[in-house]
Amino acid sequence: MFRLAVKSVKHNPKRLVLTAVAVALGVALASATFTLTNALSGGFHQLFDEIYAGTDVIVEPAPTETEDDGDQFAAPDAVFTHADLAAVQAVDGVENAVGTIQVMGSVLPKDFEPTGDLMAAGGAPSQLFNWAGDPKLDQATLVEGSGPEADGQIVLDLDGAPRLGYEIGDMVSIATDTGVTELELVGLVRFGETNSLQGATLGYMTEADAATLAGSEDYQTISVVTADGVDKDQVASAISEVIPEGTRAITGEAKAAEQAEQLDDILQYVDIFAIAFALIALFVGSYIIVNTFRIIVTQRTREFGLLRAIGVSGRQLRTMILLEALVIAVVASTVGILLGYLGALGLSALVEALSGNIFGTVTLPWDALLWGYSLGALVTLVAALMPAIHASTISPMEALRESATESKKPLRMRNIVGGALTLLGVLAIVVGLYMDVAKPYVFVGAGAMVLVIGVTLLAAQVLVPLAYGLKAFLTRVFRVDGKLAANNIRREPRRSANTAAALMIGVMLLALVSTFTESLKSVVTDQFATSEADFFVLSTQGAIPPGAIDLLGSEDGVDFVTSTGVDQATYDGLGYSVASIDPATADLAYDYPNDPDFDGMDGGVFIDPVIQELGVEVGDQVALEGAEGSATLTVTGLYEREGDANFWVDEATGAELFGDYDILQAMVVLDDGVDPAAAEEQLTSALAEDFPLVVLSSPDQLAQFANQFIDLLLGVISAMLGAALIIAVLGVANTLLLSVTERTREIGLLRAVGVRRRSVRRMIRIESLVMAIFGTILGMILGVGLGVALVKALAEFGFTSVAIPWAWLGIYMVLAIIAGVVAAMSPARRAAKLDILQAIAFDG
Amino acid sequence: MTTTVTLAASMRGGTKDYGTGDAAVRALDGIDVDIAAAEFTAIMGPSGSGKSTLLHTLAGLDCLTAGDSWIGEQQISSLSEDKITQVRRDKIGFVFQAFNLIPSLSAKENITLPLDISGRDVDPAWFDEIIGILGLADRLTHLPAELSGGQQQRVAVARALVARPELIFADEPSGNLDSRSGAELLGFMRRAVKEFGQTIAMVTHDPSAASYSDRVLFLADGRIVDEMREPTADRVLDRMKQMGH
Repeated sequence: MFRLAVKSVKHNPKRLVLTAVAVALGVALASATFTLTNALSGGFHQLFDEIYAGTDVIVEPAPTETEDDGDQFAAPDAVFTHADLAAVQAVDGVENAVGTIQVMGSVLPKDFEPTGDLMAAGGAPSQLFNWAGDPKLDQATLVEGSGPEADGQIVLDLDGAPRLGYEIGDMVSIATDTGVTELELVGLVRFGETNSLQGATLGYMTEADAATLAGSEDYQTISVVTADGVDKDQVASAISEVIPEGTRAITGEAKAAEQAEQLDDILQYVDIFAIAFALIALFVGSYIIVNTFRIIVTQRTREFGLLRAIGVSGRQLRTMILLEALVIAVVASTVGILLGYLGALGLSALVEALSGNIFGTVTLPWDALLWGYSLGALVTLVAALMPAIHASTISPMEALRESATESKKPLRMRNIVGGALTLLGVLAIVVGLYMDVAKPYVFVGAGAMVLVIGVTLLAAQVLVPLAYGLKAFLTRVFRVDGKLAANNIRREPRRSANTAAALMIGVMLLALVSTFTESLKSVVTDQFATSEADFFVLSTQGAIPPGAIDLLGSEDGVDFVTSTGVDQATYDGLGYSVASIDPATADLAYDYPNDPDFDGMDGGVFIDPVIQELGVEVGDQVALEGAEGSATLTVTGLYEREGDANFWVDEATGAELFGDYDILQAMVVLDDGVDPAAAEEQLTSALAEDFPLVVLSSPDQLAQFANQFIDLLLGVISAMLGAALIIAVLGVANTLLLSVTERTREIGLLRAVGVRRRSVRRMIRIESLVMAIFGTILGMILGVGLGVALVKALAEFGFTSVAIPWAWLGIYMVLAIIAGVVAAMSPARRAAKLDILQAIAFDG
Repeated sequence: MTTTVTLAASMRGGTKDYGTGDAAVRALDGIDVDIAAAEFTAIMGPSGSGKSTLLHTLAGLDCLTAGDSWIGEQQISSLSEDKITQVRRDKIGFVFQAFNLIPSLSAKENITLPLDISGRDVDPAWFDEIIGILGLADRLTHLPAELSGGQQQRVAVARALVARPELIFADEPSGNLDSRSGAELLGFMRRAVKEFGQTIAMVTHDPSAASYSDRVLFLADGRIVDEMREPTADRVLDRMKQMGH
C-alpha cells in the first residue's frame, strides 16, 4: 500500500507541487522563528555567561515579588555601604570583593545636537561602571591606551567608541540626571572575548567619578572572587550572613542561568506568537490541500473503481490516500524547515550588517524539526481526511462509468452545517467579548475559527446565485469569456468557495488588525487632541530628572509644568501601580477621565476600575505600602480608565511612599499668547545644556509618533500574515491549474470552434479574479465585523470610537485584484497552450 | 464533371510527419485533395490510413509538415495561429465523435457559442429552422448531461450549422450512437447539404455512414487511393474489402 502511495505521488508530482509549497511555507515560518529565537537565546546566554564569567559570587538586592521587568539596562538602587563591602571582604574564602557603582546615564555621540526628535536622542543604552582594575571583576580587558586611573578619565568599549565618533584623547559627553559631564577618553576595552554587547555602549570610570555621577557612594552590587579551591556556594551562604536584609549572595553561574532563564521565558512568547501565525498559514494551506485531494480523488475515480473491482477494500483505499498525504507532508515539511533555516540565516546576516551581531551561532534547533514535521503532517493529514473518506466510498461500478466529474451532491447538508457553525462561532465570539468569562480570548479565538469554517461552507451557497448574477454582467463586459468563467465558478461551488475562503481568512485577519489599529490611532489622536498642554516632556532614557522640571517651570512664558510619576506599591498583599500627580494643575493640562477632578483629591486617593472591582468605594480607607514608607488614605474619587495606573495620589503622598519617585511624563502649559514655536526653541535650548536627553513634543508630534508606532505594529503583523496570503494566492492558482487539467477537453473544444488563446487566458483570469475578489470581500466583512466587536469590547480601556480603515480596505482590494491576475498567470498560460488535438483526444 | 466546381477546401502535396528520426511516422504522404462546395464528402480508410490527420490538417487544427492547404480562397498553411483560429471561427464548423458540448452551457448556449465567440448576432429564423429540423425545440434549456447521446450529437450539428460556415468537418459523428440515432443524424446532415447547400466533409470507417455522402475518398498509407461517386453501403464495403480492411 505504501509503495502504491509513493508511486502515485511520483507518477504525477506536478499536481501536488503547489500543495507541498503551501505546507512548506507555513512550516518555514515556524522553523525560521525557532531558529532565530534559538540563536538569539544563544547570543544572550553567551552574553550572560561572559558578564558573570570572572565573578564567583554576586551580592545584590534580592528580586522583589512584583518585579518590574521594564528596563533591563536600568541601574538598581544603591544599597551596599562601604561598611557592607568591608564585611563581605572579611568573609572566609573571599579573595577579593569590589563594589560596583552603575551610573544611570548615557554616552552622547560626539557631535550631539538636541533636536527634540525622540528617535535621534534614543538609540542603544549605555552601561557605565566604576573601574576595578581587575579583569576578572570588570569583565572587560584593556586593549588600547590605559585604564581610567585618574579622575576625569573614561574608557569605552572598542565598538562603542567609533560608533559614537570618539577617539582616544577626545572628551566624552555623558548625560545623567543632573546634567552633562565630560571625561577624557584614555583607552578602549573589550567586553568578554568578543565584545558582544548586543548594541549597548560600555564605559568605565574611577570610583570617585562614578559616585559623583550616580549621586551616591553606595554600591549597587558587590562582585566577589573566591580563593582557589573554595566551594563557591559555601562562600555565598557565608556572605549572606553579613549583608543587609533584602539583599542576597548568589554564585555567578547561578546568576547567569537565572538571567538566561528569564530571557528564554520572553523568547518563548515570541515562539508562541510565531506558531500562531504559522498555524494561520497552515490553516489557510489546509484549504488548498482539501481542494487538491478532492480534485485528485475525482480525477482518479476510475482508477479507484478499478482497484476496488480487483479487491482493494475501501479502508485500504483510504489508507493509501492518507499515506500519499503523509509522503507529501514529509517532503514539504523538510523543504519548509530548510527554507526557514535559510531564511533565518539570511535575516540574521541582514541584522548583523545593519545593527551588529546580536545572535549567537545560528543552528537548526531540534524544536524547529519537531514543530515543523508535526505541524506539517498534522495539517496535511487532517485536510486529506475528508477526501480520503470520500474515496473509500467509491463503488467498483464507478470504474466503468464514463464521466469524470464530481457527482452533484446538493448543498443542503453543507448549508445546514455551515449555518450552525457560523451561529456557534458568532455566539462564542459574543460570549468571549461581552460576557464576563475566564480566558475570553479562548472563546474569541475558537469562535473565530468556527465562524470561518462556517462561512466557508455557506460561501458555496452564496457563490451560486452570485455567479448567476455575475453571469449577465460578465457576459455583457467580456462576452462569451465572461459567461464561461461565471459558469465554471458555479459548476463547482464547493471548490470555488474553498478557494475563495483561503484568501478570505488572510484578508479577514488583515482587516481585523487594521480596524483595530485604525481605531487605536483615532483614540490616541483624540486623547492628545483633548490635551491643554502645549508640550509633553519626555526622556529618551530613564525617568525625567526633577531638575529638568524645575528648569522648565522657571522659564519665561511657562504658566506651569505638571508631572506624573509612576511607581509600584503594595496594596492588600499585591503590587499595584501608583501615579503621583499635582492635583492643582493636572486637570488644567489634560482631560483625565476622573470623577471628580483631581483638585477634589484632598490628600486622598483616586482608584481605577481594577480597584473598584475589588469592592473599594469612595469613602473607604486604603493602605498602600511603597519602597520608602506607607500611607493610609481615604478614597476621594474615581479614575475611569483601565490600564493607566491603579491608584492616583498627590505628589506629597507619592514622596511619602516612594521618596524620589520616577517622573515618567510631564506637561508644559504656556502663558496665554506665547508663541509655541518660539517657546519650543527657547525651552529646548534651555534643556540642551544640562538635560540633553529630555525632549519636548507637541501633542500633535506625539500623536504622530504614536501613530507611526501603531502603523509599525500593523506592518509587522501584516508581514507575518504575508505567508498565509501567499499560500492563499497559491491556492487560487492551484485550483485553477487542476481545473484546467480537468477541463482539458472542454478547452480543446473551445479552441477548435474558434476561441482564441487570448480569450482562453481571459476566461481563466476572470475566474481567478471573481474568486479573489469574492474571498477578499468576505474577508473584509468578517474582519471589519470582528474588529468592531473587539474595539467595542475594549471600551473600558478607553476605546471610545471605532474607525473603519477604508484606505487599507481599498489597498487590500487592489492587492486582491493583482493577486487574482497573478494567480491566473500560470493556469491561463497552460490552458491557452493546450494542443487542440491532444485536448480533444484527452482521456478524461 | 465541369471545371466550374467551387472548392470549399483543398490541399496540394500535403505531407505530415509525426515524431523525428527513427521514430518518425508519415501520416500524410504528399496528398492532393479537393473538397467541392455544397457536397457531402466522406473520407474512408482503415485505421492508420491518415484520415483523421487529413481532416485535422484541412481544418487547421493541426499544421502540415510540407505542402499547402486552403479553406475556400484562403491559404491557411502559412497563417499564424491566431489567424487560423479566426478562420476556424468564421468559416468552419465541427462535429466530433464525442464530447462535443461545453458541459456548463445549455443546449441553446452551446448552439450559439460560435456566434457568441465572434460577436455575431443569431439569425432567429435560421436558428428556428435548424432547431425544427433537428427536433431540439424542447431541449434548448437542458444541459448536455441531461441529453441523450443522439440529442447531444444533434446539438453539435446544430452548432455547426447555425453560423453558416463555408465548411463543416465531422469526425465519426455517428460513431458513438446506436444505429437508429446514427441514421437519423446522418439523414439530417444530408438534408443540410441538399436543402441549404452546406458543405460537409466527414471522416468515417462505417460504410453505411459513407453511403449518405455524395462522394467517398479512400485513403491508405497517407495517400488517396480511390474515389467513388453516389456510393451505396455495399459498394463501399466491397471497395474496403479490396483494400484489405
